[in-house]
Amino acid sequence: MPFFQWLDSLPFNKALHVSDWLSPANNLLHLLSLVMFAGALVIVDLRLLGRGLTQEPLAQVARNAQPWLIGGFLGLLVTGIPALTATAMMQYYNSTFWLKMYILLAGLIFTATVRRKVTLANEARVGHWAKVVGLVSMALWAGVAISARLIMLL
Amino acid sequence: MSLVSLRPLFEWVDAFPSSIALRESDYGYAVMLSSHVVSMALFAGLIVMMDLRLVGLGYVRTPISQIQKRLFPWQMLSLGLSSITGGLLFYSQPMRYYGKVFFWTKAVVMVLAGANALAFHLTTYRSVAAWDSDPVPPFRARLAGALSMALWAGVVVFGRLTAYPWLTFN
Repeated sequence: MPFFQWLDSLPFNKALHVSDWLSPANNLLHLLSLVMFAGALVIVDLRLLGRGLTQEPLAQVARNAQPWLIGGFLGLLVTGIPALTATAMMQYYNSTFWLKMYILLAGLIFTATVRRKVTLANEARVGHWAKVVGLVSMALWAGVAISARLIMLL
Repeated sequence: MSLVSLRPLFEWVDAFPSSIALRESDYGYAVMLSSHVVSMALFAGLIVMMDLRLVGLGYVRTPISQIQKRLFPWQMLSLGLSSITGGLLFYSQPMRYYGKVFFWTKAVVMVLAGANALAFHLTTYRSVAAWDSDPVPPFRARLAGALSMALWAGVVVFGRLTAYPWLTFN
């Protein structure tokens, strides 16, 4: 709670509150970052499910997608922080916000550990686990996107 | 606006019992909007991944024809879902969007994006065998890729801007 009060008091929030286009512009960049992140994520998740770029080794697709996955995520993070601080107290009391944060944490941990290991490993050794990883990845990140969108609606 | 006004058509649909039911339902909007966001992100994301190859920035060791062929079904599936969810969103409150400049702009930009894709496939793409594995494709392919990214980004932006009261009339 003190942390959220501190977020609320940050100087650059004033600019976000006073301007009627800064927050919308930030939201737009957040959305465009999501597009890049989703594309890089799904191209590999589909490959994990044995679909899409099947003529290439899984590890190659994953390595090619990585810069765009990271770039998209950084964009989401950089725009996500002002999106949070601009309405910090409202988010604090919003249970959907916390739901998103929990799923996001799970998604981050899963992607940085299990998924990373599986996508860069030898395909033959991974076997059916690839499909499980692909499905879990898509479910987690879809969960993040859906709960995020529902923050202001429910 | 023009010689033929679409207003009566929009007002007619706006008054349908099913349209009213949809926009007054407790969770209708939430479900339609979040599924539209997810399918839109998938569609635009897969398009961007392909366009990154076309402009020579990403996936450069993958032949373009392979990306095109293998991603196309998924692009079309997510386009279908985006269109259905978008259509429902529109159907639930046509008169809300009728007066929004950003709504009409989005529609026009979508048509342009489709035209760009079609033109590329009917012309430049015909010769793809000659430059399929080139890390940097010919100028016209790069132009088509860059235009595609700009136009679909425009669709996302104008779509999002319909949420605000700006440039709303009637």
